[in-house]
Amino acid sequence: MSTRPSVIRQTIVTPIILIVALLIMAALTYQFGSRAFNRTAVEMFINIMVVVGLYVFVGNSGLLSFGHISFMCLGAYMTAWLAIPPVMKSITLKGLPAWLLHTQLPMWVATPISGLFAAIFALIIGRVIMRLSGIAASIATFGLLGVVNNVYSNWDSVTGGQGSIVGIPPTMNVWIGWLGATAAIVIAYLYSISRSGLALRATRDEAVAASASGINIVRERLIAFVVSAFIIGLAGALYAHFLSIVNPGAFYLRTTFVTLSMLVVGGMYSLSGAVSGVVVMSVLIELFRNLEKGISLGGHTIALPNGAQEIAIGAITIVMLMYLPTGLSRNREFSWRGWPLQRPLARPVQTALKELN
Amino acid sequence: MRSDGLELVARDVSVQFEGLKALSDVTLAVPRGGITGLIGPNGAGKTTLINVLTGFQPVGAGSIELEGEPLNGIAAHKLRHKGVARTFQSGRLFRDLPVVDNLEVTGVGLGQTRRDAIAEAQRVLAWLGISSLANTIAGALPYTDERRVAIGRAIMCTPRYLLLDEPAAGMSEHESHDLAAIIRRIAGELNVGVLLIEHNIGLVLELCERIFVLDSGEIIEVGTPAEIRDSDAVRHAYMGTQRDELIPPIVAEAAVAS
Repeated sequence: MSTRPSVIRQTIVTPIILIVALLIMAALTYQFGSRAFNRTAVEMFINIMVVVGLYVFVGNSGLLSFGHISFMCLGAYMTAWLAIPPVMKSITLKGLPAWLLHTQLPMWVATPISGLFAAIFALIIGRVIMRLSGIAASIATFGLLGVVNNVYSNWDSVTGGQGSIVGIPPTMNVWIGWLGATAAIVIAYLYSISRSGLALRATRDEAVAASASGINIVRERLIAFVVSAFIIGLAGALYAHFLSIVNPGAFYLRTTFVTLSMLVVGGMYSLSGAVSGVVVMSVLIELFRNLEKGISLGGHTIALPNGAQEIAIGAITIVMLMYLPTGLSRNREFSWRGWPLQRPLARPVQTALKELN
Repeated sequence: MRSDGLELVARDVSVQFEGLKALSDVTLAVPRGGITGLIGPNGAGKTTLINVLTGFQPVGAGSIELEGEPLNGIAAHKLRHKGVARTFQSGRLFRDLPVVDNLEVTGVGLGQTRRDAIAEAQRVLAWLGISSLANTIAGALPYTDERRVAIGRAIMCTPRYLLLDEPAAGMSEHESHDLAAIIRRIAGELNVGVLLIEHNIGLVLELCERIFVLDSGEIIEVGTPAEIRDSDAVRHAYMGTQRDELIPPIVAEAAVAS
């Protein structure tokens, strides 16, 4: 029989399509978008990083995680510690060690360090959590979110407590946002075609048979957990540079559920799904945000009540789970020769949510 | 060719599930390069014994030895690295992956690169004569092909022992004949020690050099096919108390019911 083309040759098209599509969006935004629209686009790129990071773990392992936003928190605060000018830090963050108080690193250095910090934290925590399966693992990740949030909300001398820390240089623009999203997509793609990615998807489908095939489930899960924490740590760092302030409330339940619903809407088992879910949901969120502000029709202003945005996101997620549990992408990847190229699966793919039953 | 003295052994193994004795003092040996049979009525503890031998079920008492090396408490994936492979009654293929990737997963699990694992998968598929299935999604396979792919996945990188849990269940006589030929080749050509668990007693009697009979968690008889055929204890276990009845050559009903 003919030898198959290599794994990369078969699949490289997907990340290229995604990255080029995002590049076009960035270029259009830069050329024609208002200042406000540029900010919306940057936010979307950061959300793509977060959701692609989530996909690396949730999509490949089939375990739902509620804890990944804590890595965003870790990355954002690490960037705050590294990037705020020493003069400001010595007033607001007195508890920092002296060497950290006196450093100020540029964005290009602070961001990877923040990602690594989140990854190392995930490596330590994951050694414990990844031993769990199914709903126990999901609840443990939820616990992680709560613990990290509590520490960052109350360790006043280091994190500024509930209040915001200000003074991170606001150096984000659409191009850097696009670069971040590209980095996230490339890392996620390389992981998913790696040995660990294949092994982890096997454990997702048939954990018992995967063990019988020599796969160490805990180890493969841990690798995905660390890689996804790194990506989301980077996203947190860019988010800090985007807002130029950080506060612990930004990295808690709302962000967790918005990003998870983006992943669910797009299709949680495919990279294309993760990216397209964010794009679609960002458009809808922006739409509802404008409707909340009100639109004027012949002198009258019609506005939705505040909070309609959240209700809409919730409703869309529920409808998707009911009627299209594999998401907009049907868990398939973009490719040439029509979309989607891959043959339909023989049976509906179970979503990670089946673990909750 | 036989590598003498090399065996996978369960010695005096007992397993209890909340007071229920699933296995009591079971001793069984699977020699390299030979085919050993394990038969017994439903619920006798056959699958529990396979789980014990492959690290999926910890032993309560007793020990497992792989060619002299004690293996108690070892994880299932590590045991596969040591060369003890198995199949499952229910197939358990990775249903969303193509057949070739199902095999590739084992190669990757055993430490090969993806490129090497794909090459090995294609070699094994060709060896089994099912290269044409390589790109079919495993979930879409008919039942009998599923079994052959499961065996292919288990013999990736040529294990030392292979434990087959009812590989012929639901197969026609013709299909199980083909299966028998494959099992013979695995033991003969690859020098793998095969443990065959089957309800199709005709197949077991035809293939195996030595047969263990398990009933209610205890080994009640060990012997050659001829000895098993004539054993009163076996007839008793299968047929109730009618000591004069013969064992039917193929217990098709039992295979379908499982």
